[in-house]
Amino acid sequence: MAVLKMKIRKRNWKAGMLVTLFILVGFLAAYTFLFLKHDADMVDLNSRLSPMSLLHPFGTDHLGRDVMTRIFLGAQQTVGYAFMALAAAVVIGLPIGLVAGYKGGIIERILMRIADAFLAFPDTIVAIVLSGLMGPGIENLLLAIVFVKWVNYARLIRSTVVNERGKEYIAMAKVNGLSDGQIMRKHIFPHIIGNVLVLASLDLGKIILLISSLSYIGLGAQPPAPEWGAMLNDARPYFQSMPSLMIYPGLAIVTVVLISNVSGDYLRDKFDVKKEVQL
Amino acid sequence: MNLLEVNELTIQAATQQIMKRISFTVEPGNWLAIVGQSGSGKSMATSAIGQLLAPNLKADGEILINGSNLLKMTAKKMNAIRGKQIAYIFQEYQNSFTPFMTIGKHFEEYQRTHLQVSKTQRLQNRRQALASVGLGEEFADRYPFQLSGGQLQRTAIALALLLKPALVIADEPTTALDSISSFRILQLLERLQKETGCAILHITHDLRHAANYADQVLVMKEGSILEQGDRLQIMEFPQHAYTKSLLEAIPSFGQAGE
Repeated sequence: MAVLKMKIRKRNWKAGMLVTLFILVGFLAAYTFLFLKHDADMVDLNSRLSPMSLLHPFGTDHLGRDVMTRIFLGAQQTVGYAFMALAAAVVIGLPIGLVAGYKGGIIERILMRIADAFLAFPDTIVAIVLSGLMGPGIENLLLAIVFVKWVNYARLIRSTVVNERGKEYIAMAKVNGLSDGQIMRKHIFPHIIGNVLVLASLDLGKIILLISSLSYIGLGAQPPAPEWGAMLNDARPYFQSMPSLMIYPGLAIVTVVLISNVSGDYLRDKFDVKKEVQL
Repeated sequence: MNLLEVNELTIQAATQQIMKRISFTVEPGNWLAIVGQSGSGKSMATSAIGQLLAPNLKADGEILINGSNLLKMTAKKMNAIRGKQIAYIFQEYQNSFTPFMTIGKHFEEYQRTHLQVSKTQRLQNRRQALASVGLGEEFADRYPFQLSGGQLQRTAIALALLLKPALVIADEPTTALDSISSFRILQLLERLQKETGCAILHITHDLRHAANYADQVLVMKEGSILEQGDRLQIMEFPQHAYTKSLLEAIPSFGQAGE
């Protein structure tokens, strides 16, 4: 038993932390959906800014809407949107990085110069400019995020591939008669998937922050959408009288970012066959 | 007919000619050793045969395998020849296997690319191939980093001979091994060559290896062929001064401490 505990403490604290966080979130979510039947957009000015109670565990906001319900519906929005943006960025960046790294030569130079041009702009500024040009709204914000994020993946993947393509096992696969497509899929792709997952899970946190911060300044999700950043923005005027209105969405953001970062580390360890096999 | 015929092969980089109109032939079942010091272009010749040259290098001339020119071949045809008719054994055994794939998976992939046989047949082929180099079936489940250098190089030989290619190109297969392991590897290659009847194109900087195993020897320097002929002819009656100096550089007993 003691040995087992040692093992858990030594090797799986990340997994343990993830499980704990998931249980906590799951418990709160279950409470929301089992016992509270609030409509997230339901305005009730009679009970505005009410403190925590069994009926409103996180209290209500300046329009009398239940904060806990909004937080959980907001998770769908914030996290869901972040996943969408991330998936699109990876889907665009991965083939570009893979082909540029593997083929080399003129293809690589063209693709990477395009990527460099994108990289020259800071994320937040581009996102603000694009949202400003195309008009505020979550769709435009997501487009802007994809626009600035795919470059990171293309570059990361290219550098990993360049590192690997000169190695003998690629030459070996080639002289064994495998086609370029097969080599990229079976011998190079598994190399990059670990790195991509780690970067993606770290990025998930960043993208959530970006969506939230742009929603906070009014460029992302539009009212009455229960997006966390927008909720923070709404709560700003009541910061001194009712600080919990800002604390709950803030905690929600922190929790999700933490989960995504820890899972990134965990996944990276999992993808390393050397750690899996006893030497 | 010659199995491999290289005619006037020239390899050109942007500013300089790396290989100058070299020609040689390999007959079926023959062992040809290409000897030369580092930078003589011997590895470059084998890269050209497998079309593994870096994109900035341009190869001219003819490389005929069973009469068809590899330099003019489409990628698809080339892939059918690679592995099936020509197999490679590399110097860098540490990196010759994809690190996250087990040894067994390498065998499986290789066979699935070229053969249409059942899974049981593939597993049996693998067992035979591993056994022929003195490795047990349990190695199939291991990852490359769990094997020693000699084991890896033996696995590479098993993999190279798996489809019974007509030509095995061994590019300095023993250079990264200690002398006992390399002796065993060469013994193994010699035995398997006799069993399968394949030809071997052996790249080495060590004239001793050429002297002990090869049928034909070819000496290269700075991208040109200086001398080629039967082993005995080269070893006993070298014509070129460079070959003589290579022969003199072989350490022999009795010289130590002089």
